[in-house]
Amino acid sequence: MKRNPDSIVNVLGKTLYVDDLPENAGMLHGAVVLSPSAHGRYSGLDESKALALDPSVRVLVAKDVPGQNQLGSAVLDEALLAEGDWHYHGQVLALVLASSRVLARRAAARVQILGREDLPAVTDPREAFKRGDIILSPRTQRMGDPEAAYKDCALVLEGRVESGGQEHVYLETQGAIAWPEDSGGARVISGTQSPAATQKIVARVLGVPMNRVEIETRRLGGAFGGKEDQANGWAALAALGAVKSGKPVKVYLNRRDDMLATGKRHPYSSDFKIGLSADGMILAFEADYYQNAGAACDLSPAILPRTLFHAAGAYRVPNVRVTGTMCRTNLVPFTAFRGFGGPQGLFVMESAIEQAAAVLGMDPVEIQRKNLLKTGDSFHYGQDVEDARAEATVTRCLQKARYETLRAEITAFNAAHKDLKRGAAAFPLCFGISFTKIMMNQGGSLVHVYNDGSVSVATGAIEMGQGVGRKIAIVSASTLGAPLASIRIDSTRTSTVANTMPTAASTGADINVMAAKVACDEIRKRLIGVAAARLGVEPSAVALEAGRVYLNAGAAATGSEARRDAGLSFADLVNLAYEQRVDLSAHGFYATPGLHFDMKSEKGHPFLYHVYGCAVISATVDTLRGSYQFDDAFIVHDIANSIDPIVDMGQIEGGFAQGLGWAALEELKFDDKGLLVSNTLSTYKLPDAHFMPRMDVEFYDKPNPTVVANSKAVGEPPLMYGIAGYFAVLDALKAAKPGKKGFYDLPMTPEKALRFLADDEPKEQGS
Amino acid sequence: MKDYAGPIELSLRINGETRRVQARPGDSLLRLLRERLGLTGTKCGCENGDCGACTVLVDGAPIKSCMALAVECEGSDILTIEGLRGHPVQKAFAVENGFQCGFCTPGMILNAVALLSAHPEEDEEADREWMQSNICRCTGYEGIRLALASARRSLKD
Ligand code: FES
Ligand code: FES
Repeated sequence: MKRNPDSIVNVLGKTLYVDDLPENAGMLHGAVVLSPSAHGRYSGLDESKALALDPSVRVLVAKDVPGQNQLGSAVLDEALLAEGDWHYHGQVLALVLASSRVLARRAAARVQILGREDLPAVTDPREAFKRGDIILSPRTQRMGDPEAAYKDCALVLEGRVESGGQEHVYLETQGAIAWPEDSGGARVISGTQSPAATQKIVARVLGVPMNRVEIETRRLGGAFGGKEDQANGWAALAALGAVKSGKPVKVYLNRRDDMLATGKRHPYSSDFKIGLSADGMILAFEADYYQNAGAACDLSPAILPRTLFHAAGAYRVPNVRVTGTMCRTNLVPFTAFRGFGGPQGLFVMESAIEQAAAVLGMDPVEIQRKNLLKTGDSFHYGQDVEDARAEATVTRCLQKARYETLRAEITAFNAAHKDLKRGAAAFPLCFGISFTKIMMNQGGSLVHVYNDGSVSVATGAIEMGQGVGRKIAIVSASTLGAPLASIRIDSTRTSTVANTMPTAASTGADINVMAAKVACDEIRKRLIGVAAARLGVEPSAVALEAGRVYLNAGAAATGSEARRDAGLSFADLVNLAYEQRVDLSAHGFYATPGLHFDMKSEKGHPFLYHVYGCAVISATVDTLRGSYQFDDAFIVHDIANSIDPIVDMGQIEGGFAQGLGWAALEELKFDDKGLLVSNTLSTYKLPDAHFMPRMDVEFYDKPNPTVVANSKAVGEPPLMYGIAGYFAVLDALKAAKPGKKGFYDLPMTPEKALRFLADDEPKEQGS
Repeated sequence: MKDYAGPIELSLRINGETRRVQARPGDSLLRLLRERLGLTGTKCGCENGDCGACTVLVDGAPIKSCMALAVECEGSDILTIEGLRGHPVQKAFAVENGFQCGFCTPGMILNAVALLSAHPEEDEEADREWMQSNICRCTGYEGIRLALASARRSLKD
């Protein structure tokens, strides 16, 4: 398989990430002073010891901000630099500039907080809820009447479910470099998933209109949602430093500061109530989700509805009532992370099914299968289920995993072993694709064909390893009829394509590929016109393909004279057009059609389509130690028509690894005072090469007619397969403790596993 | 014993070339490579010895350069990603999609070069143990596993 030139650059170590760019002479480095506790007040900062260190040292605080000291978007509740109080551990109090990175860090460590007074910190979302400390209003979605339906249920169960947060651990930490501009604005290279949003915040902080701020984003060393809103502050600090000092300023966080000061996946605490018939049909489901939003709103209002949309998972549930509340606590503002609230909702439903299966004496897989969504059902938010692929993918995955045999093997193994127990679980996936905020489903592009035949394609998409650039290149090349090698994907700049949306919600390829295609179609039309005039034929007789011009384009269809090469290359044709003064540039725009949603009734058509799939995972637990390993993971994933199979496979494997990490391993730990305990990569464990099971992934490749390339988005959905990992371990634990009720407190760390085995569960907190 | 008070001059072999460089006593090898020598192919992911992004070979052994003092490397032979220049392991990572964002890749490749010289024969358990020191947040390690297998094949031919 041939790879694109980018991959060669990368393995040679030549890709330039933010901190690799050559530094300008006189560049200053920024380091941040962070709040030392989860909640507190202070009277000021003593900068004297820092300033005494070196003449280049300068300390910037809130009053130095020329514009608005505000990072918030949905709600204006987040100061860029603290003003007399702080609301979480790791909040930025000051920016310290110095001539070198080491000096800046040393100076930052010498800034003293004056009049520090720690205040009580709330870390539990339910406690915040009880105190009425919520953000905006709770949201409720409903269909049917669960109350009435419980009367017809053979089994009605209630339970409580916890899911922990998750650190992104993009390997490249957050950072930005800013250059001051004579307009009073700045030019910024930022590690952001959303240059237009970053531009808006930087302009607001500098107090200038957006047209005086340019943001450029090159390749990111991973992001996963963590650089969607959370990149803005570092770009704004760099820009502030640049404007104040008149020099270029780099702010690049070290890992510890990044882990302390940046948002992560939301922890959730939830209650559910589920009603089923005796044979395992789900008749009603209710849930209350207490989202731990942290100290500021950030993206929480966009994330919460995705939890609600995914409350019923891949299942047909006729009666639903689900309510979500954003609870304000004294933890770092939680933010976007691959899945965006979906995984938390799905975990609650799967917990309810597991608990119900135990009571009904059924295998959870049986309940899962019985209730799968079918074409013609409706989602509780009013959208019809179209082209359902739940049964197809689940059936295929169970077959691949030889589920019946696997069950029998596990039973035999568990009978034969005292200290080792095996377990397995399945997870059927149904995940909606589109930004849940309808206005965000738009994108633009700018395509230039240069007169030597080379092509530059700019869109709003950010390349962070998910291969969006390559997908755009493939579709642009085939649309233009240019050789793939002639396409270069430009860095993403706000001056090239304006008002772009974040590369997020798995929509990066869907939207930006389309925007690029619109522009390429336009240029292709012009080029074909030039070729037809030159060759003296109708435009319909000309084809442009892989860098060559062909005559008798329709030959195959009409059976007329055979198609033949016209003796013109793409580059020749481009030059011809150039000489004839034909415009070789075009702007493209795309807005996803057919989306609507009414916030009042909570009904509509929020998703363009859904992605389906299934995972079956097995695990072996050492019941003496509580440690476990995952043995096998079988995945059948609804990729539809893959634009780039290697890239898509990588997304599935990598997404699944993150999901398994979230479900099993990664424990974001705060102490009872709200201090982040897991603040290094030695205290925060994430999947390594040893942890991952054998993976067997298969594409379910039925085309998806709702998008032009017949493909489906792939970024987020595979993450949720990790949920099967939690239940595989739980299944093994229950084999060691027959009859014992399961627990639903993700991640399934060995510590919790051991507690379960030792009958030593921690008391439920908060109630 | 050396006087470590101020910057001192070191002599190292880097990617086959002898270089004389100034280093402060507290400088890590990583800082020396990136900031003094401009060899930014070596990445910094944690500066705490946890992620492996900064892995280079010192006298053939994989070392986390954030955890080594530059002064300790006086006289050593250091290989960074810039010195590999089209090694079969690099090709295998490109062909088998052994990376996504690419940030872990230079360290991963150097650790893999060391692994394959220590274990030229196929040995999945050894691979997993060995590569455990390098974190990749993007790939789920499957592309990396394939890249190792493919590099091993081409090194044998
Ligand atoms: S930077 Fe050296 S191990 Fe992470
Ligand atoms: S490719 Fe991104 S961390 Fe490995």
